[in-house]
Amino acid sequence: MIEDRSATGDGAPSKTAVAVAEPRRPGASRWVVVGVLLLILLLMPLARPIIGPYNYVILLMTNTLMWVTMASSWNILGGYTGYISLGHAVFLGVGGYVAAVPLYYYDVSPFLTAVVGGLAAVALGFVAGLITLRTRGPAFIISTIALLFMFLLIFENVEYLGGTAGLPLPVVPLPRDWLKAPFFYAMLLAAVGSIVLSYQVAHSKFGLGLRAIAEDETKAEVAGVPTRFYKILAFALSAFWVGFVGAMWGYSLSFVRPTLFFTVAISAQMVLMAIIGGRGTVAGPVVGAVLIMAINEFSITQFGSSEINIVIAGVLLVTVLLFFPFGIVGTLRVKGRLPAFLDWD
Amino acid sequence: MTEIIQVTIFGLLLGGVYALFASGLTLAFGVMRIVNLAHAVFIVAAAYVAFFAFDILGIDPLLAVIFIMPIFFIIGVGVYIALFTRIEGSARYVEMTVLLTFGIAIMIEGLLGWRFTGIFRQAAPGYLTDAFFIGDFLVPTGQFFAAMLSLVLLIGLWAFLRFTRTGYGIRATMQNRAAAQLVGVNVRRVAAISFGISAALAGASGALMSYLFPFFPFRHWQWIALLLALVVLGGMGSLKGAVVGALILGVASSLVVDRIGPGWGPMTFYAALFLILLVRPRGLFGKEVAA
Repeated sequence: MIEDRSATGDGAPSKTAVAVAEPRRPGASRWVVVGVLLLILLLMPLARPIIGPYNYVILLMTNTLMWVTMASSWNILGGYTGYISLGHAVFLGVGGYVAAVPLYYYDVSPFLTAVVGGLAAVALGFVAGLITLRTRGPAFIISTIALLFMFLLIFENVEYLGGTAGLPLPVVPLPRDWLKAPFFYAMLLAAVGSIVLSYQVAHSKFGLGLRAIAEDETKAEVAGVPTRFYKILAFALSAFWVGFVGAMWGYSLSFVRPTLFFTVAISAQMVLMAIIGGRGTVAGPVVGAVLIMAINEFSITQFGSSEINIVIAGVLLVTVLLFFPFGIVGTLRVKGRLPAFLDWD
Repeated sequence: MTEIIQVTIFGLLLGGVYALFASGLTLAFGVMRIVNLAHAVFIVAAAYVAFFAFDILGIDPLLAVIFIMPIFFIIGVGVYIALFTRIEGSARYVEMTVLLTFGIAIMIEGLLGWRFTGIFRQAAPGYLTDAFFIGDFLVPTGQFFAAMLSLVLLIGLWAFLRFTRTGYGIRATMQNRAAAQLVGVNVRRVAAISFGISAALAGASGALMSYLFPFFPFRHWQWIALLLALVVLGGMGSLKGAVVGALILGVASSLVVDRIGPGWGPMTFYAALFLILLVRPRGLFGKEVAA
């Protein structure tokens, strides 16, 4: 997407022309980086004796992986396809409740139902896509916000689902020292899964179609891209892993509550991470998620208030939009300074 | 039957206020193609101004409009010049405005939350709990004043757009930006003024919000969702559509609250939005919206 835009637009066509003429082969180095990273992550929960504030570190990593998942998933619709969804938190909530209800009423473990949560999110994405994707641009964005609030309202008003108080959930039946490990691995699975999905989409004919839609939907349609089907599919696919982590998140918190899940703040974070990292790229949302988590953690320890966080997030979003619209990864790519291990497009 | 008429009266009063809340939003879209997600946070910010003006200085919220509107006009013009002139002509401009105003909204929300915490606030002028009767029907005084003020401001807006030179310029820009520029309208000036007016309308809305609806910083999301839904229903960028949409939804949501339960009121807005998307995506009075 970025190459195309700078080639047709005002950017630096010479550089991209070079890049197109002699495609770089990133070679094995990026696989080494990824492999080492993955190995460290896999062994992480076992390193209990070495890591001092063990629970804190594991929790932080778990949360970061969760956000990596959500930002990467959002990117499939918001980045590749160019349809901004401000309602993606709805999938987190649906996933959370689809796992929470069987656990609360029938004692079914969310580790079994997390996939169902993901599939429920996909189904919702498909149905919502059928309606909302009849529109383009602003009306679509607005309808995603409305979708989110509609679900908030439903979940707050249905007695069976616990109403505004939500449902309390039992704690994982594991020794205290190992409580956090299963969630860490689940989120790791989701993060890897969503990145692989994002990569697969980016490198498929389907992904090419999505990028064509982002560039110019009318032309894409004329060129034979089944735009409507592709858009709905993108919406549905971008929901799966968000639903999955929703199921895990609720269980790890040991409660679900509408105002915690169905909130614009969560959608905002996904958008922010994907855009700061570089939307429309595979690595961008990952970089953005890690960066924002780091900033959040820093500002909470530094200022002790979550409001400052929100202000920083807003300032960052405005700054990036005005001065680095391609985000970190996109900007580095345009400048030709992108390290090989971040180059997956 | 009397009950339905009574509920309809409540609904119309409410709808009048919604119309004012939405008017600035639809003006910003109509003139500059800005989908202003920060509109409701402007309203909430103004509500804080009005609340403290009443609480500390004892200024009536309805009178506070006189100084809140100019302040917010200036802020609006400032924000437009500082931020929106930079993204003119960028690819996918409308989407850019959404994200930019999203950022602004988060920023202001954070600042408000930091200064004023998340406590519910509501100004309590004397007429808040008063009511009078027209025939058999009860009319709450506070709501009535708010609806009247909305009416006055909306008529003022209409007259301004209809009879002043700047108003001509704004309407010309709404119809066709390029053509307006060709016949000599200073589109940039028109855009800045329109955004100022939009913010001023948000300011007036905030003064009404300060005593009509309990508010706290995070509340603005719920409001922007409602307002955007009714703007889409009326047709984005159409002032007439916003007013009609607001009145319809004011009455409809009042009936829903009366028949089904208070929790379901906002559902009317979202249901209407999805219904209109299914039946007529451009809204009641809207032109075809390009992405």
